[in-house]
Amino acid sequence: MLKPTSESIRADVIQRLQSLGLSGREEFDLAEEIAQHVEDRLRELTAGGTEQREAYRVALAELEDLDALRAGVEKNRLMAHHEPIPAGSPAPARLWEGLWKDLRYAVRGMKRSPVFVLFVVLTLAIGIGANTTVFTLINTLILSPLPVKEPARLVAVAAVDPRNTARSSALFPVAYADLDNYRAQNRVFESLAAFTSPRGMTLLEHGSPGAMFGELVSSNYFSTLGLTPTRGRFLTAEDAVAGAPPVAVLNYAAWQKRFGGDENICGRELRVNGLRLTVVGVTPDHFLGMNAIFGPDIWVPASLAAQLFPNTMENVLTDRTKAQFEGVARLQPGITEDQARASVAAVSEALRQTYPLTNQGRAGVVRPVREILLGVNGNTASSTIFAGAALFVVVGIVLLIACSNVANLLLARSSARQQELAVRLAMGASRARLMRQLLTESVLLSLLSGAAGILVAYQGLQFLFGRLPAAANFPEPRIDALVLAYTLAASLLTGLLFGTIPAWKASRANVADALRDARSAGLGRRRVTIGKALLVGQVAFSFLLLITAALFLRSIGRAYAINPGFQTEHLAVFPTNPGQAGLSKEQSENFYRDVRRRVSAIPSVLEVSWSSNMPLWAGSSTGFQLEGHAPKSAADQIRAVALTVDRDYFGVSGISLEAGRTFTELDRDGTLPVAIVNEKLARDFWPSGALGRRIRLPGEPVSRQVIGVVRTADYTSWGEPQQDAVYTPLAQHFADSMALYVRTAADPRQILSVVEREIHTAGPGILIFGTRTGSEIIDNGLFQAKMGVGLLTIFGLVALGLASIGLYGVLAYSVNQRRREIGLRMALGASRAAVVRLIVAQGMTLVGIGVILGLAASLAAGAALSRMLFGIAATDPLSIALAAALLSTIALLACYLPARRATQVDPLDSLRQA
Amino acid sequence: MATQTDPEWKKGSAELLVLSLLEDQPRHGYDLSKLIQLRSGGALSFHVTSLYPLLHRLEKLKWIEGRWVEKAGERRRRFYSLTTLGRKTLRSKQQSWRDFVASVSRVTGIEHA
Repeated sequence: MLKPTSESIRADVIQRLQSLGLSGREEFDLAEEIAQHVEDRLRELTAGGTEQREAYRVALAELEDLDALRAGVEKNRLMAHHEPIPAGSPAPARLWEGLWKDLRYAVRGMKRSPVFVLFVVLTLAIGIGANTTVFTLINTLILSPLPVKEPARLVAVAAVDPRNTARSSALFPVAYADLDNYRAQNRVFESLAAFTSPRGMTLLEHGSPGAMFGELVSSNYFSTLGLTPTRGRFLTAEDAVAGAPPVAVLNYAAWQKRFGGDENICGRELRVNGLRLTVVGVTPDHFLGMNAIFGPDIWVPASLAAQLFPNTMENVLTDRTKAQFEGVARLQPGITEDQARASVAAVSEALRQTYPLTNQGRAGVVRPVREILLGVNGNTASSTIFAGAALFVVVGIVLLIACSNVANLLLARSSARQQELAVRLAMGASRARLMRQLLTESVLLSLLSGAAGILVAYQGLQFLFGRLPAAANFPEPRIDALVLAYTLAASLLTGLLFGTIPAWKASRANVADALRDARSAGLGRRRVTIGKALLVGQVAFSFLLLITAALFLRSIGRAYAINPGFQTEHLAVFPTNPGQAGLSKEQSENFYRDVRRRVSAIPSVLEVSWSSNMPLWAGSSTGFQLEGHAPKSAADQIRAVALTVDRDYFGVSGISLEAGRTFTELDRDGTLPVAIVNEKLARDFWPSGALGRRIRLPGEPVSRQVIGVVRTADYTSWGEPQQDAVYTPLAQHFADSMALYVRTAADPRQILSVVEREIHTAGPGILIFGTRTGSEIIDNGLFQAKMGVGLLTIFGLVALGLASIGLYGVLAYSVNQRRREIGLRMALGASRAAVVRLIVAQGMTLVGIGVILGLAASLAAGAALSRMLFGIAATDPLSIALAAALLSTIALLACYLPARRATQVDPLDSLRQA
Repeated sequence: MATQTDPEWKKGSAELLVLSLLEDQPRHGYDLSKLIQLRSGGALSFHVTSLYPLLHRLEKLKWIEGRWVEKAGERRRRFYSLTTLGRKTLRSKQQSWRDFVASVSRVTGIEHA
C-alpha cells in the first residue's frame, strides 16, 4: 500500500466524524487535530518496524471508539448550561458567576424532589406568613399610623391624675377652655389644636336614620397637622365664628364608601343630629384622625358642639368642668419635648391657682403623640404595644419551630447526599464553596416560602379585617414596602437559620469515611445529636404555646362563670338617641314613655326599662360630694359610675335591692331629689348605713337623698374590680340618649325585630344603634380574650403538628440507622413489643426533656400571662395537665409509627445488608 | 486510566494530568498522550477519542489556551498552553489530590509507595 497522504488521512478521519453531526467549523478543527494525531501515530508505528498498511489500520482503529468521542463532544457542547458539579475555588471575580451556577444547581435539585420542596415551603410559609401578618398590624397601628407632615414635631396635650406619677399613666381629656389657655400662654408650640374622641351621630339619609361618627375639632386642627385636602378645603377661623354656616370635613374612606367617591361632594348637605352640615372638603387617604385604631366619618368645628349635642355638650367650650377634649400641638423648630412639658406644667399650675374649683385634681401634661394615638378606652399605649409584642413573640416561636423542623429535614437530606458532597470535596471543591452551595439552596427555599408567606399574610389580614364593621372607621392594613422588606429580611434570616447547621455539618464531612460507607459514617451520629437538640427545643416551645392556650381556654370558661351582678339570659338592649334626631326634652320624654307602653304590650316581654348606659359600657367620673366626707385635699376626689335609669330598671336587669326602695312614679321633677347607691359605695363611705344620707353629683346644684342600696355589678368590663356607683331616676335627671332594657320570658332573640319595629313606630327618625342580647354583651366583653385563645390554639396546634412531624422524622431516621442492631436483637430473640418499647422510649425521652423545659419556660412567662387571665393562676395544674396530655398523645403516635416499622425489619435481611 | 474506576475520578485526574504536563511548556495533543503513556510506564493511557474533547473542554473553561502553529512541510499543529486561571486551578487540584491520596492511604492503611 502506498503511504497515505495528509489529504487521504484527513478524508478518512472526516468520514468517521460525520456521524457526530458537528458543525462545519468544529468538524474541520477536530478533524485537523485528529488527522495530525493519526499521522504522528502512523509515523511512530512505521518507525518501530510495523508494516505501512498494518500501521495505518492500527492508527485508525484507535478512532473506532466513537461513543467516547461523541460523549465528550456532547458534554462540551452542553457545558455552558450543564455543569453538574461546580468546580472548586473560583477567583473572587467569578463570585457572581459562581452564584448563578449555585442557583441553577439548586433549582435543578429542587425540581428533583418536589414533595420535599412543597413540604418545606408550606411549613415556612405558615411561619413567615404569621410573622408578616403581625408585622403588618404593628406597622399599621404602631409604626406609621399618622400620615401627616413631620409627625416627629407633634406632641399630645392632655391631663393626668397628679397622684399617679408614672410616666406612662393613662391620659384623660381636658376642658376646651384649658386648652385655650395652653395655646395662648405657651412659648413652645407653633400651634395647638383641640379635638374630641369620635362621637356617635345620627345621619338622616332619605328620611331614615343611620349611624356615623364625628369629631369636634378646633378650626386650626388640620393646619396644625399639616394636611392637604384631597377635595375642597379644610376648616378656617371663619367656620368657628358664632352664626357661621355649619360645615363638615369628610373622611376619605367615608367619602369613598358612603358616597361612592362622588366628585361633587363639596357643597353637599348632610343632615346630622338634626343639623344641616355642608361638606367643604375631604381628608387625604389613610388619615383617621388622632387615633390609630378608630376614626370618625366627619370632622366638624367645635363651635357646633352645643347644637349637635345639646344635652351633653352645652357650654362645653367655656365650662371647665366639662373635660371632653384632647390637644395636639406642633412644637416650634428647635424646641424639645422636655421644654414643652415644663411650659405646659407651668400653665397648668397657674390654672390650678386661678380656678381652684375646677382645676384641682388634674394636671396638664405633654406626651409623645403615640400615646393618644394608641391610648383607647382607658388602655394606655403601652398595653397596646405590649399586646403587639406578645403576639410577635408567639409568631416568632412558630417560625422558630418551623425553622428547626426544616433544619432537621435538611440534615436528613444532607446525610443522604454525603457521598455526592464527599466526591466534590475530593475533586477539589473547597468547604466554603460547598457551604455556599448548600446555603444557596436554603435561601432559595426560604425566599420561595417568603413569597408564599405574603399570600398567607394577605389572606390572614383579609380574614381579620374583613370581620370589622363599617370599614371607613378602621385603618386598612397596608402591605407596603416596609412590610415587604421585613418579609424579605425574615425569609433570608430564616434561610440562614435553618440552612447553616446542616450546611456546616455537611461540609465537615470526612471525605474518606463518607466515600467508604455513608451508612455507618460517624457523621450520622452527630447529625442525630443536633437533630435531637432541635427536637427538644421544638417540643418545649410547642408545650409552652399549648399551656398558654389551655390557660386562656380555662380562663374564658371561668369568665363565663363570673357573675357580673346583672342577669344576661333573658335580656335584650336597644340603644337609642332621640336627642340626635332633633327631639326636644318633652318630645324625648314622650318617646321614652311611648316605647315603654308599646314594648310592654308585646307577649313574652316581662318587664321594660331605660338606662343611660349599655351593660359594660359605663365610664366613671369624679367630683361626687358625699355627706360626712369633705375631701381632705383638692386632689382627693371621689370617683364613681353615674347611671341614669328609669323605674323597674333593677327588676329588668336582675340587680337585687339590698336595702331601702327602688325608684317609683313618685320620684319625678318637683319631688325630693333621690339616688340609689351600690353596696360598695355604701360600705366604703357609710358603713353604719347609707339610707337617708345625702350625695351630690358632679355638676348638679342640689344634693340627693339616698333611698336604696343595690348589689354591686360590673359596669365597665367583665370581671372588673368593684367600682362605686350612683343611680339617679330618669324623671329627675333627663338624658337625651337612653338604652331600652327588655326582660323576656324566653330567648330574647325572638323578639328583637318586633321591639325594633315598635321603637321605630314611636320615633321614626330615631336611630337604634347596636341592638344586643345579654349573651352577645358577654361575648363582646370577652372578645379580646377569645381572640387570644383562638390565635394561641391555632399557633399551638401548628407548632405541635410541626414538632410531631420532626419527631417522626428523627425516629424514622434513627430506626433506619439501627436496622442492623434491631435485626440482631430480634434474631437473638427480642420480642416485637420489646423493640417497640426501645424505640418509643428513645423518642419519649426527648419529649420528656422538652416538656420539662417548656414547663419551666411557662412558669417563667407566668407573670406576663397572669395579667391577661380571669380568676386563674398561670400555674393552673389542670391547664398544664391538659396541654401535657395532648402533647404526649400526639408525640406517642409520632414515636409509635417508626417503632412499628422497626419491628417489620426482617432479621436476616438486615444482617445480610450489613 | 488503565483501571476501571468511577468516571468522576477519571475526569478529575485526567484534568490534573493534562494541566501538570502543560505547566512547563506548551504541547500538542499527540505529545500529551505520548508523555502520559511514557511517564506512567504505560499504566495510564489516553484514547484519542477522549483526549481531544477533554482538551477542548479545558479550553472552554479558560484553563488552557490553544494556538495553531504552522511549520514548513508539516501539517499545522494545535499547541496548548496553561492560562493564569489554569495555573491556579492546577495548584488547587494538586493540593486536593494530595489530601485525597493521604486520606485514602490513612483509611486503607497503605503508606505512600
